[in-house]
Amino acid sequence: MAAELALGSALAAIGAGVAVGFAALGSGIGQGIASSASVGAVAEDSSMFAQGLVFTAIPETQAIYGFLIAILLLVFSGIMGGNPLGVTSGLVAIGAGAAVGFGGLGSGMGQGIASSASVGAVVEEPSMFAQGLVFTAIPETQAIYGFLIAILLLVFGGILGA
Amino acid sequence: MEESITDLITSFGFSSPEAFIALLVVVLAVIGAIIVVITFRPLMEYYPYTYPNSRVRAKIGKLFSEKQLTELAEAESLEEVQNYLRGTRDYAKFVDKYPIEQALDANLAESYDLLARIAPKTLKPTFELMLDQWDIKNIKSVLIAKEAKLNEEETRELLVPYGALKNDQDKLIEADSVQELIVALEGTPYAKLLEDALPDYNENKTLLTLESALDNYYYDKLLVASSSQEDDNTRMLHSYIGTKVDIENIKIIMRAKADGLSFEQINPYVINRGYRLRDWKLKEFMESEDMNSLLSSIESSDYGSVVADHIPEYNQTQSISVFDEALDTYERDTAKNIFRKKPFGIGPIVGFMYKKEIEIKNLKIIARSKRGPIIPSSEIKEMLL
Repeated sequence: MAAELALGSALAAIGAGVAVGFAALGSGIGQGIASSASVGAVAEDSSMFAQGLVFTAIPETQAIYGFLIAILLLVFSGIMGGNPLGVTSGLVAIGAGAAVGFGGLGSGMGQGIASSASVGAVVEEPSMFAQGLVFTAIPETQAIYGFLIAILLLVFGGILGA
Repeated sequence: MEESITDLITSFGFSSPEAFIALLVVVLAVIGAIIVVITFRPLMEYYPYTYPNSRVRAKIGKLFSEKQLTELAEAESLEEVQNYLRGTRDYAKFVDKYPIEQALDANLAESYDLLARIAPKTLKPTFELMLDQWDIKNIKSVLIAKEAKLNEEETRELLVPYGALKNDQDKLIEADSVQELIVALEGTPYAKLLEDALPDYNENKTLLTLESALDNYYYDKLLVASSSQEDDNTRMLHSYIGTKVDIENIKIIMRAKADGLSFEQINPYVINRGYRLRDWKLKEFMESEDMNSLLSSIESSDYGSVVADHIPEYNQTQSISVFDEALDTYERDTAKNIFRKKPFGIGPIVGFMYKKEIEIKNLKIIARSKRGPIIPSSEIKEMLL
């Protein structure tokens, strides 16, 4: 039978779940929208496959940020070995998870919409690829804010290196 | 630190930090659920349009540019136009198979067929109903062909190879009279329509009576089908279709009044169900004594601003083409506005419908102008929409 988790570690586990769960939700919805638009574009113009793939891949990043924070939380919270976390650090871990999770949720959905619009613009006018890429990249910033804050919380909240 | 947090939590009345944490987790879950629901709602409206809009925008990208239309207008012959079209993926398969105008109609029908297949669920009934226009067009073509005493082969060249009656076209072509055509259409709603209009046709011997019955049936059903108020997208599609119907009615009445026709003479040819022009308003238009009184009536309607600015020009030229142009511009602006307002919804679909119809009209203008005596390309370009 597995050893009972410390409360702080259990809170960090919730943080990890929120981080990867919400970020992946946003990323998944965004990618679903982008890939649906890309399939439509490729159905009409097979040369759109590469561009469609690029625009569909972009909203993946939010899930990666969430996944990274979740892995860090699991590694440094004592769940995967090492010292268990205290309650305070556990609460910090939930904050870190929420930062990257909700940041990724909004960012992923926004980026998915921008990606699908860009696919539509590129399939109509191929010279729009670069501009479409720039506009699609902009909603990434919210996820980066969430990711940075999550890292700062982990570093200065006493979790990384605990 | 932990002791002070524990003290703080217990001071709020919680028996233990665990109870507070449990509440915190529940609050976090509720907030998360609310955020997800709020953000999902607009997405649910947008999501069904991503695939069709991409396909439609790809089609928009392949429409002929002004430069290409100019090149076609400058073509030496109809064969050159056909060869040009053979170089495009969308037209090639039809140009090789059918005479030019039939090929263009087939291409337009294929575009509508695509829209009916890929349209989001809320719009599907409207787009599926739009496919009936090819049956209506084909029945009208057969009627005209019979009146003009065209042979079977010539009649076949007038028919669009689309619509629910696609496989019954031979039966329609073989009919020798309107009566026989009605028999051939047995089992379809068109048989009863034509049967009801037959006494008028027998009396007046004008096909317009039969054509008008078919048009009224089609537009009536289309306006009813598109009138679902489910969301902004369905409302906008209805407004686009309704505006087209209203514009068509205004054009018919204007032409009739310019020719001095009376209410009784115009009434059978007007589409009964208007959109922003209700029955009583259409009646008022048709009962106008002359063109000036019609223009006054139109000025007091929702289309007043469309014609008002062009009345001085009309008074100078006495040509109703100024109003035709103004109404065409209004239809184009309606499509553009919908495109701007709903770029992630119905906008691109309406934009494509409008642009595709204009492209086909322009290609027909070019094709016809290459058939008879040579028309200078500058004149053809002026005729283009």
